[in-house]
Amino acid sequence: MSYIFNALSLFPTQSLSNGNGGREFKVGNVANLEVLWFSKCRLRWSFRKACGFRVKSADNSIDSTGREQVEGGVRVDFSTKALESDKMAGSLHWRINDPPSFVVLVKRNAGSKYAVGFYIALTIVLIVAKQILSKRKIQTRHGSVAELVKRGQLRSNRRGISKLDLKYEDPFNNPQVKIEKNNSKIEMCGKVYRLAPVTLTQEQQLTHLQRRSRAYQWKRPTIFLKEGDLVPPNVDPDTVRWIPANHPFATTATELDENLAQNNVFQKDGVPFRVRAEHEALQKKLEALQSAQNEIGINQNNIHEWERSAERSSKLNEQVEPSASLEKQNDEFSSTGNKNLPDKLDKL
Amino acid sequence: MACRLPTNSFLSASSFVHVSPSSHSLPIASSPTKTLSTASFYRRRPNITRAVLQWNRKPQLAGETPRVVVITSGKGGVGKTTTTANIGLSLARLGFSVVAIDADVGLRNLDLLLGLENRVNYTAVEVINGDCRLDQALVRDKRWPSFELLCISKPRSKLPLSFGSKAITWLVDALRSRTAGHPDFVLIDCPAGIDAGFITAIAPADEAVLVTTPDITALRDADRVTGLLECDGIRDIKMIVNRVRTDLIRGEDMMSVLDVQEMLGLPLLGVIPEDAEVIKSTNRGFPLVLNKPPALAGLAFEQAAWRLVEQDSMTAVMVEEEPKKRGFFSFFGG
Ligand SMILES: Nc1ncnc2c1ncn2[C@@H]1O[C@H](COP(=O)(O)OP(=O)(O)O)[C@@H](O)[C@H]1O
Ligand SMILES: [Mg+2]
Repeated sequence: MSYIFNALSLFPTQSLSNGNGGREFKVGNVANLEVLWFSKCRLRWSFRKACGFRVKSADNSIDSTGREQVEGGVRVDFSTKALESDKMAGSLHWRINDPPSFVVLVKRNAGSKYAVGFYIALTIVLIVAKQILSKRKIQTRHGSVAELVKRGQLRSNRRGISKLDLKYEDPFNNPQVKIEKNNSKIEMCGKVYRLAPVTLTQEQQLTHLQRRSRAYQWKRPTIFLKEGDLVPPNVDPDTVRWIPANHPFATTATELDENLAQNNVFQKDGVPFRVRAEHEALQKKLEALQSAQNEIGINQNNIHEWERSAERSSKLNEQVEPSASLEKQNDEFSSTGNKNLPDKLDKL
Repeated sequence: MACRLPTNSFLSASSFVHVSPSSHSLPIASSPTKTLSTASFYRRRPNITRAVLQWNRKPQLAGETPRVVVITSGKGGVGKTTTTANIGLSLARLGFSVVAIDADVGLRNLDLLLGLENRVNYTAVEVINGDCRLDQALVRDKRWPSFELLCISKPRSKLPLSFGSKAITWLVDALRSRTAGHPDFVLIDCPAGIDAGFITAIAPADEAVLVTTPDITALRDADRVTGLLECDGIRDIKMIVNRVRTDLIRGEDMMSVLDVQEMLGLPLLGVIPEDAEVIKSTNRGFPLVLNKPPALAGLAFEQAAWRLVEQDSMTAVMVEEEPKKRGFFSFFGG
């Protein structure tokens, strides 16, 4: 077999080395696979080291399914599905019908007619073999249970036919990770790892627990006070955490009542407390204004306008405000109505 | 009770034994299962250690929900936020509902890691003040709608001092009783240090994930923090060793994961390798575990999340790196 390798390695070194060293050489998908499959490292080596060419798959569409990709290299997995085989056949036809670069390259290669002959013969053999293989695969697939799965009659994951059809998105389908059969070694990203057992025993864990309980004695403070403040009368000084005055926490003092704050946190629906409070304040103001105007007795139109605006703002507050804020956070609601919200409420 | 199921492992082999669902399990209470696990481990030889990636089944949720987990470390910059983001999204991907709380008041950055920074309008401070309801302050991740983020405060607004750590306990209790159903997991990203922020973050937690790196400074802080957590009654503490470089360990330039475990005496939840993808994913605001194909560290986080769900810990770690055998067919490795 080795003379085939030689013939193959002749191809890039002799015919392409003149002048286009940095160019990327794209090979049709199937040809690429086949060449790699048969020629192993020698071809790859010669492509890379001798002339600086990179073999690259021209069609990445198969990558995700059947075969494994190992650090840029490509390995053929013969358990490809019918669909892929079709694809391969398709690109094979392309390979036959349209091999311009290939022919040109071969013609340019004046040096070794034998090599050219071998290469052409080999390619033909490969194409034929590939087609036979893919046909056989399609035939075996016809009418198999896999088709029932495809048609939705069977749930593949229950039968263990296809490991690719998981209910939730498969998190561990990583071509870079391989595990040896006896599980003693793991290969990841081209490196091999050995497993070593964890030896921590329950006794050791307890020893550490005891050591720590001696070393650290602590009670979680439940109250934060600014340094210099007085301890409130009903507070155990042991539970106080003193916050230095320049700490971010210490710069905030709240006039908010604790119960109120708690209620705010537990509020499940309706208008948030502060928003409602502010709205009520606004409402009162409006009403006061309205009654004042009534007393003075300005014309009816004006009063109607006031009434309408008051109504509108109250409606908006009750209905739109919750969803409007939800929308801002979650982008789930289309933006309707909230544009009319009074500016003040928006800025709360 | 000790049903031995096929085990999951990426950076480990882990055989798990289901601990009875009590979130506040005392070490003594959980000891029978633990000893069983170690004992049976010695019966098997290390080379039979099972290390099969478990991806063809859903992890089984152990313990009472919502599981309130604080992710803490003592030292800053060891990867708490990274861990919270990645484990959180892994859990969501595995089908659990998750609320991640960014309790880092001064240096909020979980939203950045998740790429949700533009969607945070309301925080817990607004909830407490009554400017919005709690459900309005939760930011739902569009990629995984079962993942929600809650920030404690905006950079300039501050958590009210006078309530101490009560406020965050209310928040978690409100999540427990919310109408939409309580989340399966509440993850709390704890700030560095052991002052007010730490005290606040650990207050509602039942269990803790201690993130550390294999260096002595991080370890000392980790030990201290573990001590404080234990004083506070949080006994379910597992550690994640982050930024592990197997090449340095092999050259004896870095403590191995087992060295770390010897110093802290904590069960291992996960081992995360140093991985440039972590930084890239931070930049993108796209957690590592969503990468396709998954990066090394992403897989490790995923496995850690898996163990968290099952209240499992690692029984073996990857410690050695051997040069790959170069056979006739192995020309790809380079
Ligand atoms: N496994 C890792 N590999 C490489 N970089 C990491 C890893 N874990 C964390 N980092 C980096 O460390 C930095 C601090 O991480 P972060 O999660 O913000 O730490 P913390 O929240 O503990 O302060 C980040 O820039 C992050 O990208
Ligand atoms: Mg952080």
